[in-house]
Amino acid sequence: MKKMIYSSVAIAIAAMLTLNSCSKDDAVVITTIQKTDSVKVNFSSNSPFTFFSFKNDAIVANSDSASTNWDFGLRFTTFILNSHTYGPGNAGAILQNTIYSNVTTAPDNGYAYDTASSQKAIKDGSWYDYNVATHAFAPKAGQTFIFRTADNHYVKMELLAVDYEPFVGPAPVRLIYRFRYTYQSSGAKNF
Amino acid sequence: MRKKQKNIIVFGAATLLLALCQVSFAQKKFNDTITIRETVVTATRTEKSIGDIPVPVQVIGRKYIQQTGSQKLSDILQQQAGLVLADNPLGQSLQGYPNPFGSGIQMQGLDPAYTLILLDGEPLTGRNAGILNLGRIAVGNIQQIEIIKGPATSLYGSDALAGVINIITEKPDHNSTLLKVHRASNNTWGLTASNTIKTNKAALELFANRYSSGGYDLDENIYGKTADPYRNYSFAAKLFYNIDARTELRSSVRLFTQKQFNNYLVYTSNQPEAVDGSSNETDWSVNNQLQHRFNQKTNLVSRLYLTGYRDNATVYLQKNDSLFDRSFLGQFLVKPELQLELGKKQNEQLITGIGYNYETIDASRYASEKQFNSFYIYSQKEWLPLNNLNITIGARMDKHSLYKAQFNPKLALAYKPTSRLTVMASVGTGFKAPDFRQQFLFFTNSLVGYTLLGANELNNGLIQLKQQGQIDPSVDISPYLTDHSLLPERSVGTNLGFRWNYSNDTKINFDVFRNDISHLIDRYNLPFTKTNNQSIYSYVNVNRVYTQGATVNISQKLCSFLNLDAGYQYLDAKDKDVLQRIKDGAVVKRDPVTFQSDYVKAKEYGGLFNRSKHSANLQLIYFNKHHWLNARASAVYRGRFGYSDINGDNILDDDREYVKGYVLLNANVSIAFRNGLRIQTGSENILDHEDKDKLPNLSGRTFFVNCSLDLNKIFSKNKNNILQ
Repeated sequence: MKKMIYSSVAIAIAAMLTLNSCSKDDAVVITTIQKTDSVKVNFSSNSPFTFFSFKNDAIVANSDSASTNWDFGLRFTTFILNSHTYGPGNAGAILQNTIYSNVTTAPDNGYAYDTASSQKAIKDGSWYDYNVATHAFAPKAGQTFIFRTADNHYVKMELLAVDYEPFVGPAPVRLIYRFRYTYQSSGAKNF
Repeated sequence: MRKKQKNIIVFGAATLLLALCQVSFAQKKFNDTITIRETVVTATRTEKSIGDIPVPVQVIGRKYIQQTGSQKLSDILQQQAGLVLADNPLGQSLQGYPNPFGSGIQMQGLDPAYTLILLDGEPLTGRNAGILNLGRIAVGNIQQIEIIKGPATSLYGSDALAGVINIITEKPDHNSTLLKVHRASNNTWGLTASNTIKTNKAALELFANRYSSGGYDLDENIYGKTADPYRNYSFAAKLFYNIDARTELRSSVRLFTQKQFNNYLVYTSNQPEAVDGSSNETDWSVNNQLQHRFNQKTNLVSRLYLTGYRDNATVYLQKNDSLFDRSFLGQFLVKPELQLELGKKQNEQLITGIGYNYETIDASRYASEKQFNSFYIYSQKEWLPLNNLNITIGARMDKHSLYKAQFNPKLALAYKPTSRLTVMASVGTGFKAPDFRQQFLFFTNSLVGYTLLGANELNNGLIQLKQQGQIDPSVDISPYLTDHSLLPERSVGTNLGFRWNYSNDTKINFDVFRNDISHLIDRYNLPFTKTNNQSIYSYVNVNRVYTQGATVNISQKLCSFLNLDAGYQYLDAKDKDVLQRIKDGAVVKRDPVTFQSDYVKAKEYGGLFNRSKHSANLQLIYFNKHHWLNARASAVYRGRFGYSDINGDNILDDDREYVKGYVLLNANVSIAFRNGLRIQTGSENILDHEDKDKLPNLSGRTFFVNCSLDLNKIFSKNKNNILQ
């Protein structure tokens, strides 16, 4: 009886080892693009969004907003995603309380969408601390955005800083967002 | 160049002091001044000798105030061990303008809003975001300032968590006519006149003060002055009347008005525009007290106190004189109270009091005028189970129309193993009612567009915003329409310490304290936004913090003409929830330069912002043989303190988040003439410490001259006792 238990444990361990080696083989083909970007975003709530493509690491023209060429749009402190209410794509987002470098896999599910203009995937105010006195928006440290892009690729992104573009007068015209991201071009969820 | 100048000043001051020492050594030793038994009323609500009080107490007498030469109460208070002049945590100095909420006294590491400020035992209204403008209290007629540390809620109710500062004005006890002129840098003028007439049965004191300042400018590149010019008037009349041998009436009225002249830049449709205008503060009070001693054991005191405060601020666009902004705050309080004192021996008294508050408040940022009432009852009993052991037990119940009844007890022990040593221990609870702003604010920022709603306005505000289409119809606001009223903030405070008169020349006070505060009220944002994508904020009870530390004060007579006072406070004040989150690995910082993220370690956490771990004060007083020449030098050290977060974790954990420690050095000399004339001259902030960005409330070096004249002395025959 005891022997049987030992042998079944041995088989189980062997099976786990083989499974592990399988996934290790997969990991070899990871192809990630790592970037740090600085993007200018309109301050006024009546001005156009700035659209961004992770794949091309570039700003997408507003005329292209009806395509799947962009993944997220940003205006003031408002994120929109290319899906549901705002675009034809399949973009979704998760805001995770994990240090950027510690995020190694994108979750299988749980991605949020903009279901209405007032029900956005990324809630305004959820990712920054606003200082009423200095009017500074400080992205909370230790938070990582995980995006599924418009064309179903996975990205992890960290907002590093939000600064005001130097301006004359009181109301700023643009905000400068600094962020870094890792884009998994293979379509896999590992980073 | 600057540094050299500083060295010269320090060197000069040191030489002067040495010289004074030597001159006086040569003189004959003179008889020590008679030590007067200091009495304090604040600690127990009855007059009591300082040695018998079982809680930490500090007294600033009239003579001390005179020696500082200062006309500002805040300057006098911040020279005491453990009292720090700190900015209001709600605001921040910005773009060359000081913190709009001003600064106040931080005691035992608690913000200024947690210290109750009394004038002749009664509270002042009109706090701006928790801060009471101490400039409203004229210094010229203060008899003494009593500072009680540790919770005093069991006697005084709300706000007395850190302690109480009771400013007691002069008793009209002798005929006098005083004239004082104060002239200082920044075009500052102070004019004081007082007159006391005393008869057998009655005494009347009239007091008037005019004080004006031209303000100062720490940064010429920024439009307008850093601190705006202002002018204020104080009037007070006090009548003491002995109706019969057992009955005394004390009546006083007070009026304060201040006009501040504002001139600054605003931005309308992206263009800078100069505005000017003024803010007008008015503060009045009427205080009546009737005391009747039925017999040696029974004393009844009835009081009726009324006070009102109003602040109207209006600014106009300079170009066309059109109204730009108008705001106001009005407050009114009526407080009848009855106190019965039973017991023959001063140390075995039973005090019981009942009272009622009726209060109204109206402000431009609130939806409408609010009215409240509260009823309270307090009692305190003292025992002397042993000859040298005093036990005091007290408790107070407050029933307020806005929140549930608050019960606050206090136990204090004083043990006197020798006549020179008093060992004290006390524990008590305290509470602070949610302030009006946290409850009633209804305010939308016109520039950015966010909305702040007080907890009691949340329901109305959300419905209104939704009706106006400012909240999307799809948003479910129903979870926020339930009762969101705030609980009072609560604390438990413990004090242990001793007062030790080691010798006639050496006195040591030592106190260890710990305050645990729960239900601290903080701002949060609702999980949905307005249609303009801006947040809605409200208030909720969340934080738990503690403050603990030790204060030591040594008073040493160095020689027959030189006194040294030294004080030091060690402070540790932290947010317990932050400590827990750090422990859970939930606090992450991100370096603003390298953008490297990392978990915050417990040892990196510097505690609550705006608090110095170390603060100290030093005072050296010289007086010559006949007391006609006095000199005083004092230094106030404020150790480094947290200013604001820079690394995205909202807590103090980085060296770059601190303001460097600094020293304020003051010195003055005064000469008293036999005819009642007294002249004093000196300088404050001699080292000229300035920080236009982080300490705009601190003006640079200033100089002053004070002249006072006692007309009664001039005309009286007895001219010997010149210092009285």
